[in-house]
Amino acid sequence: MTTTEPTAKPFRNMPPPNLTDPYADARTQPFWDAARQEQLLGPKCAQCGTFRMPPSTFCPVCLSRELAWEPLPGTGTVYTFIVVRHPLNPMAADYVPFMPAAIDADGAPGMRFISNVVDCEPEDVRVGMPVRVVWNHVSNTLTLPFWTPV
Amino acid sequence: MSLKDEAAVVGVAVARAEGADAQLAMPDLAIVAANAALADAGLERADVQGFCSPSGVCDHGALASQMGVPEVSFSATLTSGSGGGAGALALAAAAISGGFADVVVTLSRYESAPRSGGTGPNALLRPPPGAAASAYGLSGGPGPDGALSAPAALRSYGAAAALTANAYLHRYGISREHVGRWVVQARANAGEKLSLDDYLAAPLVIDPFSELDAAPGIATSYVAAVVTANVERARDLDQPLVVIAGAATGGSPINGAPWQGPAELVASSGHRDVAADVYGMAGASASDIDVALLADDFSPWVLMQLEDYGFCGVGEGGTFVADGRAVVGGTVAVNTHGGNITDAFARGVTHIDEAVRQLRGTATNQVPDASTALVTGDPGTMPLSAVIMRRA
Amino acid sequence: MSVKDKAAVVGIGRTKYYKRGQSFPMTQDEMAIKAITLAIEDAGLQKADVDGFALYSAAIDPGKVAAEMGLANLRFAATLTSGGGGAAGSIGLAAAAVASGMCNYAVSLMTLQQLRHRLGGTQVAPPADPEAAAAMAAMMRTPMTAFSQANIASPGHNFAMITNRHMAQYGTKREHFAAQCIAQRANAIRRPTSIFTEPLTMDDYFNARMISEPLCLFDYTPETDGAVALITTTVDRARDLRQPPAVIAGSANGGTGKHYSLLGSFQMPDESFASGGHRDVAKQAYRMAGIGPADVDVALLYDHFSPMVLMQMEDYGLCPVGESGPFVADGNTAWPNGSIPVNTHGGHLSEGYVIGMTHAYEAVEQVRGTAVNQVEGCEYALFTGGPATIPMSATILRKA
Repeated sequence: MTTTEPTAKPFRNMPPPNLTDPYADARTQPFWDAARQEQLLGPKCAQCGTFRMPPSTFCPVCLSRELAWEPLPGTGTVYTFIVVRHPLNPMAADYVPFMPAAIDADGAPGMRFISNVVDCEPEDVRVGMPVRVVWNHVSNTLTLPFWTPV
Repeated sequence: MSLKDEAAVVGVAVARAEGADAQLAMPDLAIVAANAALADAGLERADVQGFCSPSGVCDHGALASQMGVPEVSFSATLTSGSGGGAGALALAAAAISGGFADVVVTLSRYESAPRSGGTGPNALLRPPPGAAASAYGLSGGPGPDGALSAPAALRSYGAAAALTANAYLHRYGISREHVGRWVVQARANAGEKLSLDDYLAAPLVIDPFSELDAAPGIATSYVAAVVTANVERARDLDQPLVVIAGAATGGSPINGAPWQGPAELVASSGHRDVAADVYGMAGASASDIDVALLADDFSPWVLMQLEDYGFCGVGEGGTFVADGRAVVGGTVAVNTHGGNITDAFARGVTHIDEAVRQLRGTATNQVPDASTALVTGDPGTMPLSAVIMRRA
Repeated sequence: MSVKDKAAVVGIGRTKYYKRGQSFPMTQDEMAIKAITLAIEDAGLQKADVDGFALYSAAIDPGKVAAEMGLANLRFAATLTSGGGGAAGSIGLAAAAVASGMCNYAVSLMTLQQLRHRLGGTQVAPPADPEAAAAMAAMMRTPMTAFSQANIASPGHNFAMITNRHMAQYGTKREHFAAQCIAQRANAIRRPTSIFTEPLTMDDYFNARMISEPLCLFDYTPETDGAVALITTTVDRARDLRQPPAVIAGSANGGTGKHYSLLGSFQMPDESFASGGHRDVAKQAYRMAGIGPADVDVALLYDHFSPMVLMQMEDYGLCPVGESGPFVADGNTAWPNGSIPVNTHGGHLSEGYVIGMTHAYEAVEQVRGTAVNQVEGCEYALFTGGPATIPMSATILRKA
């Protein structure tokens, strides 16, 4: 499913926007291409299968430079989170409270996505809460994953 | 109480951003270099416990994490962006001697012109390294202190070095011919032919320097890695044992305030105190040194350091070279790999690499039975540094 | 081959601690020089004796400060590579420097003035100038940073992430953090150096503004200016100086490679995620000193955020993992009656924040026997550098 229309604030409790253009290189472009298609990929070492985040050049286990992108089911669990209530810079003032979180994604053991929990009241977020990925089509060229309670 | 003979240099390598590695930035290029040096040593990533470098080389934490080093117990840099590999090696030896780590990787880095690719400026036109430069308005905008010096428009490394060089040449009546004889010798060490006439005919860029007097522009970024280990560990490895007999850093604080000291010190490499310290710790003197790898981003530095390290008297650096004493078979073999002014980095050989090769017996211009080597780090900015290595 | 018992801290000096920005018109370097000068006097040394700087976080440019102070010669000038994480380790670096013979007297220090910028503020505040802002944005927008853009924008946010995990994993409560804050405030207000002068109550804590849940105002270190300096030399030289030496028994700076991501992408392994990240450092420091947790008489634990004090207690084996909350609530870290007094100087949270060096200063006073809130019979003092990205650090001092 694709869309080329930017959507503004499709979810409740979104974080302030801090990405404008995609900044991918050849190695990471597959993640962002799949995001446009609303498919979540996990970066893993093509040689030894270790997942790593962020997708650095070398695998810290076997030093291979070959990166593979594993399709993930798009479900996961909140590993930890915070609730930002106090805007640190003026542009965040319209967005507090929002919930940054580290997400254990199913199918990608040993790495966590760093993202935001949306469409959820801050009081309801829990460590261990089951979540699923949702997609924010920020612009014609950029789609970001967020997570929402199942 | 000293670090003498407690640490050994066990592996060396240089990684250049070319070929398959052309796009590698830090810390990736450092990962390549460190792994190559570990392979040279016969050690593994899991053996590494510490990282040392001159400041600004690499984020050691990122390096440890992305390289897969399981546990770090020492991580430090020199301050002010200078000191070079020799200074970082001194720091590594102190860490090992202090029991903070058994194996330490030291790194140094040279960048080509960043985004635009291609060959970067040669040392003449490069910005000078170190915080001292920024404090005195030599790089970026002048701060309140720097505003007093900034109008002099000393915007480059070469300009700063030229001030010192001119003071030195003038004070001791050393001519460009003397310096040229060194440059010719260095080129010969690098396997290249250069005549004194050609040297003298080269146009001056910043007096007294022509392009032949300065380290050339760097075509591809590179990282040099050196692995040091405690001497007990090193004994179990395959390479011949090369111990660090002495290490010193520092220099007079005037190096932090360029050109403000007594004339005699300003017109020198500034290494006299460091020389005394490193010889004192190693229990050695100039006559014990078989091969000297002297920091040489600019040619007159070699002459100045020959004096400050006691190979000849003060002011006699020119005649020492002209008399043919700075060669294999002479009083002390100097920069047997040609040094920075011959772009030794492009051939993958740093001063430390060359010292280690000489002591292992694998150098191109081998000094027969070389057993003691001196390596120095950049004159001109704090801290200066020197290391004496010995074949054990 | 170890630095154990070869070096000692022989002089300490500090400026007043000011509320943020109020040290002006002094500069950071001026404050540093003031603290160094006081440390030199404290030791009974001369300016000409100082010949090395063993720093963390590149606190100063040693060449510049040495030239300004008129120091004779500088034979060692190095810094640990972390920020506050290296505070304790800088004394270990000083020990390595003097034991190696590279210098005789090494200064470790921190100077801090938060006049134009605030240390704990957002990590993504753009410069005012639009071109500079665009350049900074471009630099931060690397392919790797694209994966960590969740608006976790400050140290407080980072440590709140870890704190929430600790609370979920072990049942730690805000009351436990409050207990530590209250105990430290009680220590601070007995000291003339303290920024705060009134006790803290449980009501004060729970009425305070929430900043980055679960961290409230009192869980954060206040913002202060000040400078603290320590001088280290070999134990032989220490014998001839004015003060009883604070012997450096052990030190470490490092950590597990996987904890690098603490301030970025939170990929720390599950078994140590909810911790101060100090377990390896604790092991290394205890091993060098030849002691264990039971030997520690006072612990000066880096407290940028109150929950990290609790987590470091677990890392250093001062209480079992996961049990620091009740341990603190039971009064075990209070002075003078706690089984292991923590932050007897009030710490960052209440006395003043100089990025960890006040903990070093207090550790020295404790083993000298001259602390305001003196732990009776103190023989071993542990002090740590801030939980943060690696390398982190710890040093153990022993009464001579």
